[in-house]
Amino acid sequence: MLTIALDAITTAALLFIISSGLLIVFGVMKIINFAHAAFVTVGAYAALVGARLALPWVLILPLAFATGAACGALTETTIVRRLYRRPLDAILATWGLGTVIGQVITLIFGREVQFVQAPITGTAYFLGIDYSAYRIAMIAAAIIVAVVFTGLLNGTRLGLSTRAVIMNEMLAQGLGVDSARVRLVTFAIGSGLAALSGALITPLSSVDPNMGLPWLISAFMLVMVSGGSLLTLAVSSLVLGGLQVVVSTFVNPILGGLTIAICAAVVLRIRPEGFARA
Amino acid sequence: MPEARQFGQTGAASIDFSAGLRITVLALLVVGSIVLAPLLLDTYTTNILIRAFFVAIAAITVDIVWGYCGTLTFGQSAFFGIGVYALAIIFTEYGFGSWQALLGIATAIIAAATVAALTGWLSFYPGSTPLYASIVSLVVPIVLVQILYSGGTFTGSSSGLVGFESFDLEVENWFRLAGLSLAAVATIALIIMRSDTGRLLKALRDNDERCTYLGVDTSRYRIIVLVLTAIVASLAGFGYAAFGGVAAPENASFTFGTRLIIMVALGGRGTIVGAIVGALGIEVASAYLSGSLPYVWELIIGIALIAVILAFPDGLVGAARQLTRGMRPPGRSTTIMLRPIETAAIGGTESGTAIEVKGVGKHFGSLSVLDGVEFTAKRSELLSLVGPNGAGKTTLIRCLSDGRERSAGFVAIGGHAIERLSPNRVVQFGLGRKFQAASIFEALTVAECLRVARTYRARPSLIATSTMLDLPPAAISVVERSGLSERLGEEARHLSHGLKQALELAMVLSLEPEVLLLDEPTAGLTRAERQAFADILTSLTARDRLCILLVEHDLDFVREISSRIIVLHQGRIALDGSVNEVVNSALVREIYTGQQSTTSEAMP
Repeated sequence: MLTIALDAITTAALLFIISSGLLIVFGVMKIINFAHAAFVTVGAYAALVGARLALPWVLILPLAFATGAACGALTETTIVRRLYRRPLDAILATWGLGTVIGQVITLIFGREVQFVQAPITGTAYFLGIDYSAYRIAMIAAAIIVAVVFTGLLNGTRLGLSTRAVIMNEMLAQGLGVDSARVRLVTFAIGSGLAALSGALITPLSSVDPNMGLPWLISAFMLVMVSGGSLLTLAVSSLVLGGLQVVVSTFVNPILGGLTIAICAAVVLRIRPEGFARA
Repeated sequence: MPEARQFGQTGAASIDFSAGLRITVLALLVVGSIVLAPLLLDTYTTNILIRAFFVAIAAITVDIVWGYCGTLTFGQSAFFGIGVYALAIIFTEYGFGSWQALLGIATAIIAAATVAALTGWLSFYPGSTPLYASIVSLVVPIVLVQILYSGGTFTGSSSGLVGFESFDLEVENWFRLAGLSLAAVATIALIIMRSDTGRLLKALRDNDERCTYLGVDTSRYRIIVLVLTAIVASLAGFGYAAFGGVAAPENASFTFGTRLIIMVALGGRGTIVGAIVGALGIEVASAYLSGSLPYVWELIIGIALIAVILAFPDGLVGAARQLTRGMRPPGRSTTIMLRPIETAAIGGTESGTAIEVKGVGKHFGSLSVLDGVEFTAKRSELLSLVGPNGAGKTTLIRCLSDGRERSAGFVAIGGHAIERLSPNRVVQFGLGRKFQAASIFEALTVAECLRVARTYRARPSLIATSTMLDLPPAAISVVERSGLSERLGEEARHLSHGLKQALELAMVLSLEPEVLLLDEPTAGLTRAERQAFADILTSLTARDRLCILLVEHDLDFVREISSRIIVLHQGRIALDGSVNEVVNSALVREIYTGQQSTTSEAMP
């Protein structure tokens, strides 16, 4: 029972880390970044390269973030910037970009599945059971992401500008906020977070050019259901992620994999604002 | 029958004849080449093209849902896959035979229609966003593929189903069957998309909200389109599996769904030809290139997609059309006849209550935007709603026209309580709403906009494009007085601001409303345009006995035409009285501090 609870919480933590980058991009730009999965993969391969170079994990994680952020900044300036007025086209173009990144990675690293050794191995004795230490570390990682994020949004000038753009872009522009820069930085940070999450999940799953894809749909649905706030994203990750674990354990794993998508679609149909203002 | 008035420059008869001839020749050419081509092509190419033809049919359905109706759908592959598996499962379970084939077709149609109806119900409801519909369409193929994976030997799991006996046809005849099916689907799609119904679908894509406020149940239309296209896609899948003799989960996958979108995007969305060009081009090129350059080919497709979306959003066909536009003679304008319809005689003495509002409130959490608003308005009244910015005027208009907007209170239009009904239902009680910023269909011509506005009164034809435009006299008089009658064939986006406002008014009047809500209709108009507007409104109340509720800042304008004025202040009715009472009241001066209201040009 406790194992299931821990599974649920650690799954929620992973989902939260992966979705948070998508959330910030959606919140500011009102577009869904379909290349998010590709950026997750980029981060995973950055971790792979880092591990092969025998870099310590304190360096691997910033390396992954920086790689993702650089890709994101490039994407924003070359593609996304031109498509703000066509959000559905932005979906398509970022999807195309995702394919391109996936194929480039395949050309460089090959198709085969590869593995990265976790920085924290073994199990931890926790409340009377043995549980994967790395998964428990993910809870801490999720909390750190949430805290840093909240700190950035509420404690910095850029965060203030970002919140202004989220609430009313026209007005923010009128007050001298450089919304183009806010968008650029946001997209870079969102992509960086995607890559960071990719690096973090590598020890738990294998690394292959399409590894980000299975996470993408769950991340979309969580972002849509959360209605754009970090707190509701955490709540939706916990509720739907927990449900996923329960269904996977007691019903069947395939249905479990669909839980988030189906539940979120139905929740949004009945309550279009999702978990926001709940 | 009232006399018809003719507008437009060219006579249509001779052109129609040559167009008819051209179409016949084109059809003969297409059919002829489909029948003869397999004699010239090698077997490999023939095989590829047969598959490509079936895929192109699926691509056409994507084009209709996305290019024409504006919903980016990743889900058409699911319906294609349903057709594939309906055939494969039934032939595997029961063997091959004619009743099995019929059962397979019936299963494909019923399963696809059911899943599409469910998807439609999830995706389209009053207030749903295109993004949400897109995401739902993404979930459908993913769920279906997972079901296929977990189906064991019944669905063949991840390896799919092979080795079932199927139709025994020569490859040449498969080619002809598939090619003619594609031609037939394309022709039907072209006819429907060019008909009045097709125009309505484009209107949905252009401006869903305006459609709703024209009494069109947009969700219903979108669900119907989804179900019909799903059936066509499933039949395409059925044919694909019947020819190939294989069913694989990839046929239903989200990846194939995106591939279909890419075909339409590259070929040209919103044109049937574009979908076919894109599908055949990519299918054939993939067959030849993906073997020799597996990853590079995917890379090229990805880059091509990005480039086309950034540079040619209308795809290759769209780009080609732009190039040739300059060389072609100016487009012929179809002659459009305006014909006034006979409106139901309006009882001269009837003085029914047109609007009844009791205790209406609108709250956002603890913030009250409207509180305890009460008034009634009768036919033939021109009631003006004034008040400073933020007083709740537009919110009140919204609460009158959409049953789901208000937090408290009772609203009745033409004696019918609007309860929690969506705007298209409220329109049926005789309400017409004109938005503050002109809300029209930018991509349609003036005549098409007006025809879409008649949808709720006159069901559009599936086949024909009418040349007769039946409008109520009030709408015709706006069209003629504003000068729109000279520009019926022009795209609405090219109109001036004033003409757009007039067009929207004419569209709303085409609903034959009894109650007209106008939100700052004269904002940004010239003095002359404004005067014309005032004349129109006055005659609408006097002659057509409309009840008009007008939100307006320009007090001179209000004073000139109103029969009564309501002053809204901080979400409450501050004053409700005749023009003189309101204009000379101390309260109004107090609300607009520092304003000499009797001489003011416009309020803040």
